[in-house]
Amino acid sequence: MREEILSVGIDIGTSTTQLVFSRITLENTASAASVPRISIVDKALIYRSSIYFTPLLSQNEIDGGKVREIIVKEYQKAGIRPSDIHTGAVIITGETARKENAALVLETLSDLAGEFVVATAGPDLEAIIAGRGAGADRWSKHQKGTVINLDIGGGTTNIAVFQDGQVIDTACLDIGGRLIRFQEYSTRIAYAAPKLKLLAAELGIHLEEGMEISFEELEKVTGRMAGILEEVLGLRPATPMLSVMLTGKDLKRNYPMDSISFSGGVADYVYAHKQEGFFKYGDIGILLGKAIGESSMMDRFQVYQPSETIRATVVGAGAHTVEISGSTITYTEDLFPLKNIPILKMLLKEEQLQDKDFSERIKQKVKWFGLEREIQQLALAIRGVKNPSFLQVQRIASSIIAGMDSLIEQKLPLVVVVENDMAKVLGQTLHRQLEYKKEVVCIDGVRVDNGDYIDIGRPLANGRVVPVVIKTLVFNAE
Amino acid sequence: MISEKDLKKVIEQVLLELGASGAKETCSISEEAAEQVQAIEEALPDITAVDLKKQVLVPQPENLEGLLKMKETTPARIGVWRAGPRYKTETLLRFRADHAVAMDAVFSDVSEEFLQEMNLFPIKTKCRNKDEYLTRPDLGRKFEEEELEVLRKNCVKKPQVQIYVSDGLSSTAIEANIRDILPAIQQGLEGYGVKMGTPFFVKYGRVPAMDVISETLEAEVTCVLIGERPGLATGESMSAYMAYKAEVNMPEARRTVVSNIHKGGTPAVEAGAHIAHILKLMLDKKASGLDLKL
Repeated sequence: MREEILSVGIDIGTSTTQLVFSRITLENTASAASVPRISIVDKALIYRSSIYFTPLLSQNEIDGGKVREIIVKEYQKAGIRPSDIHTGAVIITGETARKENAALVLETLSDLAGEFVVATAGPDLEAIIAGRGAGADRWSKHQKGTVINLDIGGGTTNIAVFQDGQVIDTACLDIGGRLIRFQEYSTRIAYAAPKLKLLAAELGIHLEEGMEISFEELEKVTGRMAGILEEVLGLRPATPMLSVMLTGKDLKRNYPMDSISFSGGVADYVYAHKQEGFFKYGDIGILLGKAIGESSMMDRFQVYQPSETIRATVVGAGAHTVEISGSTITYTEDLFPLKNIPILKMLLKEEQLQDKDFSERIKQKVKWFGLEREIQQLALAIRGVKNPSFLQVQRIASSIIAGMDSLIEQKLPLVVVVENDMAKVLGQTLHRQLEYKKEVVCIDGVRVDNGDYIDIGRPLANGRVVPVVIKTLVFNAE
Repeated sequence: MISEKDLKKVIEQVLLELGASGAKETCSISEEAAEQVQAIEEALPDITAVDLKKQVLVPQPENLEGLLKMKETTPARIGVWRAGPRYKTETLLRFRADHAVAMDAVFSDVSEEFLQEMNLFPIKTKCRNKDEYLTRPDLGRKFEEEELEVLRKNCVKKPQVQIYVSDGLSSTAIEANIRDILPAIQQGLEGYGVKMGTPFFVKYGRVPAMDVISETLEAEVTCVLIGERPGLATGESMSAYMAYKAEVNMPEARRTVVSNIHKGGTPAVEAGAHIAHILKLMLDKKASGLDLKL
């Protein structure tokens, strides 16, 4: 059995908008006599769009109509209809994501997307997706130690640290190539990001719109920006300016840092130095790349050069966001796609509690969860048991039902995500214990954490698996 | 040449003499020896308790992490090093111990207590003992008329799904998995609204015995849970063979099989849930084996 699905990735970034199509091949890799094991065996990029500047209505507003036009045109050029698409992701990244109308723009595109899964990104997810698109996760599998990918775009630098193929840390900084922009054919500042003004002020450089700035001063500013990256990577002691530039939490730096790679538009200028045309794009991108290329980062780490740089995020979105659930799962009705379901993950030690103790913990956490936000639905995530007895499954199911009672009263299906291979029997057990009156979705083979959201698409491979997109909004590895 | 009779006489003589002169002594020696053996056994580590996937015998591996990662993906004995051109003693002993587990799985019987606990009444094929079962596969698929009579008397007729258990080549597999898989299948079928017949146990059964059972009980779908021929990785592996309207002499291609059910393969409960799903599909599509697209 082989099945091919088409996936689209759309990245609407601070500076550029891109699209790719990829073909994902699913195959049952288990022998005919075994329980099926359907997995992704191949991912091939079949189309890359041109790279467009993201159309903006104003400094803070994306031009949704124009973005739509670009996407429609690219679909036509590729000869692909929206209805051909099975899965994929639209990612609004960088500074743009913080702009007010991001949600509106996504809505403009949702019909174009057919049934695929739409994702708004936060910096953590963006970092992870870019790292995967760059291939850092795969390198980390083939070598000892960590691979740190820095995706340096127009507005932000998103860092994801991979070890053995898994993300172990993320961070995001306001360091990017378009944080200072110039008026046409000049070094007169058209825009300077507020945080960069602070950074420059510390160097004794005054940045202001409309002001002319010298090449030497710009080199100092971009040099300091590279210095901040050295700080976050632990090559220099951290200064207060580092915490100013971080948009959220810092890297933990409690693991060995072995290799780095760069992606994003600035990356091309990290790896290759060109001596002319520094202001080709009317911003500091090329200078920033040069500053990083000359920094100690290049000597202190093993440096990888990804095959995708500026396209890393869109390739990550198009080819590496979708996962496949385990091949023995339960869904009592095809209610898919289910989108944006927040994950409530139980701690391992809570899972080791029995019966009422366990259900009380679930109940408590569901309550906390509900206090934080207006929830209609959440997915309960547990590790489950490797080789459970039938009795154990019964007890786990009763605890879940007792713990989730406030959600079960509502109309929505009960969604449970398990790590270990037991979703089919757990789902059937839940369904029976709920007297077949409640729709149940129970999937396994997927690893999620608190802070993640999950999208579950329509079943594939004759209904045996579902495609899953895990959206990490707050990265919380234990 | 000494005849057998003569030999017996000599032995009797020797035994008599031993009994007369040193009976007490031999007795005390053997008691002492027994104690010693017990002490040694207690002191000896149980080599089968070692998790092979975590055991690396290579003295100074270049990349221990990498080797362990490889070992995690396979039950094969890799990274066992060598003594000259041979296995190390530890590897050789473990090999033999695992082989002994496999032999036990084949030659032991499913216990009466277990069948009672699971509420399975037994019938048996035409084989009279294990040796005959192993040497005469043809008899392992046939029943005497009175055995079938027991079946007719005790079972619900014309069930949608007839499930039964059979020792096959591993009694160990049956005792390890049935407790969890049978209720899981039952629960799954209940959820699909499918009625299950009366389960029972077939001793000395080969897979095609299910065809006779299907015909006897006129089952729509028949499923046998049967012990697999044990290997060196595990003696606990079980299979489920299923067929829609199975009949004697039907082509093998009409059987669907789910194999490798054990704690290192597909967990029994999850396999049970999956099997229930397949059984439901067979009823819906009125087909099995190659005719049933899963």
